[in-house]
Amino acid sequence: MRKIIVLLTAGVLMVALVGVAFAGGQQEGGEAAMDDDVIVIGHTANNVGIDSYQTTHDRVWTETVAAMDGVETIQLDAGGDVALQLSQVEDLIQQQVDVIAIWPVNGDALVPGAQRAYEAGIPVIIVNSLIAEEGFDYIEGFAGPDTYQQGVNGAIAMIEALDGEGQVVDLMGLPGYVTAIRRSGGFHDYIEENAPGIEIIATEPTDWNRAKATEVMENLLVRFGDEIDGVYVADDNIGIGALNAMREAGVAGDIVMTSACMFGEGYDAMAEGLIYSSNYQSPAEDAINAVEMAVSIANGEEVPFWNFFETPIVTQENMDEYERPNF
Amino acid sequence: MKRVLNFFRRQPIWAILLGIIVVTSLFRPDFLAIGNLLNILVQSAVNGMLAIGMTFLMINGYFDLSVGTVMGFTAALTIGLQPLSVPVAIVLAIGAGAAIGAINGFFVAKAKINAFVVTLGSFIGVRGLIYIYTGEDALVGKVYEFFSFGASRVLGIPTLFLIMLAFALIGEFALRRSAHGRRTYAIGGNVEAAENAGIPVDRTVFLNFVLCGTTAAIGGVLLAARLNAATPGLGWPDTNLMTIATVVLGGTSLTGGSGSITRTLGGLFTLGVLYNVLNLFNVQSFYNLLLTGLVLILVVYVDSHLKQRRVRFE
Repeated sequence: MRKIIVLLTAGVLMVALVGVAFAGGQQEGGEAAMDDDVIVIGHTANNVGIDSYQTTHDRVWTETVAAMDGVETIQLDAGGDVALQLSQVEDLIQQQVDVIAIWPVNGDALVPGAQRAYEAGIPVIIVNSLIAEEGFDYIEGFAGPDTYQQGVNGAIAMIEALDGEGQVVDLMGLPGYVTAIRRSGGFHDYIEENAPGIEIIATEPTDWNRAKATEVMENLLVRFGDEIDGVYVADDNIGIGALNAMREAGVAGDIVMTSACMFGEGYDAMAEGLIYSSNYQSPAEDAINAVEMAVSIANGEEVPFWNFFETPIVTQENMDEYERPNF
Repeated sequence: MKRVLNFFRRQPIWAILLGIIVVTSLFRPDFLAIGNLLNILVQSAVNGMLAIGMTFLMINGYFDLSVGTVMGFTAALTIGLQPLSVPVAIVLAIGAGAAIGAINGFFVAKAKINAFVVTLGSFIGVRGLIYIYTGEDALVGKVYEFFSFGASRVLGIPTLFLIMLAFALIGEFALRRSAHGRRTYAIGGNVEAAENAGIPVDRTVFLNFVLCGTTAAIGGVLLAARLNAATPGLGWPDTNLMTIATVVLGGTSLTGGSGSITRTLGGLFTLGVLYNVLNLFNVQSFYNLLLTGLVLILVVYVDSHLKQRRVRFE
């Protein structure tokens, strides 16, 4: 009797396991890893389900690969856990996929993962967010948005809106985070080189946090009052936070705001005339661009290290051409 | 043969593990590749470390919700204190884990506050410590030797796993042979009887909390060696619950009094193998969690059923 129960349990588990395996594994990427004719891209995502950008990215990744002949993918989700992501990279190395694509949970902590894949002879691409520079030797390149150019775009629009004259503040993301540094750097460099009449009177970190952005903007308004002509924000989330402070002070709409990355709420604020310009960063484009880069590398083609996808400038004039972002 | 059957009867988790391995290797022979098996071992080293201390505590009739964030905090200390020299950093990190365990133990054993509340509090509080210490940023190790130690092997087996295994063996021996081990079982089985027998209940409970904090800290050190970095999110949010799940899956009783490290290792490897197998089959990670939950409930059900029968036969 006891033996039967144990066997029965094990049997039920097996059936469940195999059932789930076939239901979930219709892409059959796992099987294909052993097949030489098929390109297998192993992908470990940062945290699917945490926001619509990442969820859309993941869905489009699946669809893009499904539409390609002779390409399959093993899609894993690190769930925001660096230790789990490192394990997933190890598993993908073990399965001898043709390319590993990592959307790093953390740019510093994934350097060892990239190094291990490199030592095992499997090419690695980094998706969406960069890893730390010590890891650049171990990767084939980066597929994602040109965050530096997004900063430059913010500066171009600011110069245009202010006619090249005025005082502006820069609300950046989280210090030490590559995207924050590049978005701020692009803005600063372009203003300094091209707009002698514009002075950046403050650069303040907001840690990507809306509440902190409100607080920072309140303090800046107290400090500088109506001396502020423009605000550049590292994304629309920060922008909405800053707008809340500006609304309270009754200056929303008087101060020009340019943003580095458009979100749904920022789209609405732009329609109200509160945000002057932003960059349209599509998660679908992001995923397609990364899959294409991975396939090129698996085919042995030469690819440039930086593979950016277009993140066009959106303004009040041309915003009708773009759908409201769902994130 | 009879002994093997008896072993499986007493610890059905190993039979289930064996079943999963056999069936998987029929479908995917590459599961048995040495590299894949070594991956499973190295990936279970950190969780195993946490589960060892938790096994002591659960046999004692308690549990500790703070192990995940203690692991994250001590990993951050291990990396952040490296300028003082690596051995000093490791000692201080383990000391910090033991100290947090002692605080938990004091409030539970001496102040008689509910263990759920106390360790929930330290779970949240220690997360605050992580953010205060790291300043919300990832800490990156600068000592190459420490990192290469994390990736090293002895006789082809990952060093981190061997360290965990050594602690597991010591733990099992201590549970079975030491006075502290016997007291732990006695208190978990029946507190009043243990007290009447003159067993120092408070001291034993206190020591097991310290032990649990210490093994969580050693887990943090191993994790730091594996990543050569520490991010503020380590151990959050569910490492603690997965550790408890590992111990329960092995067959250690949630109410205390019975269990062993061998059982916990069975639970540890089953979760590790299950995760690996589902990866091999390219199953989406959400199904993975679903199945882990199902396995947990099923195994505990079978175990309790078998236990009733054992009692009837004896």
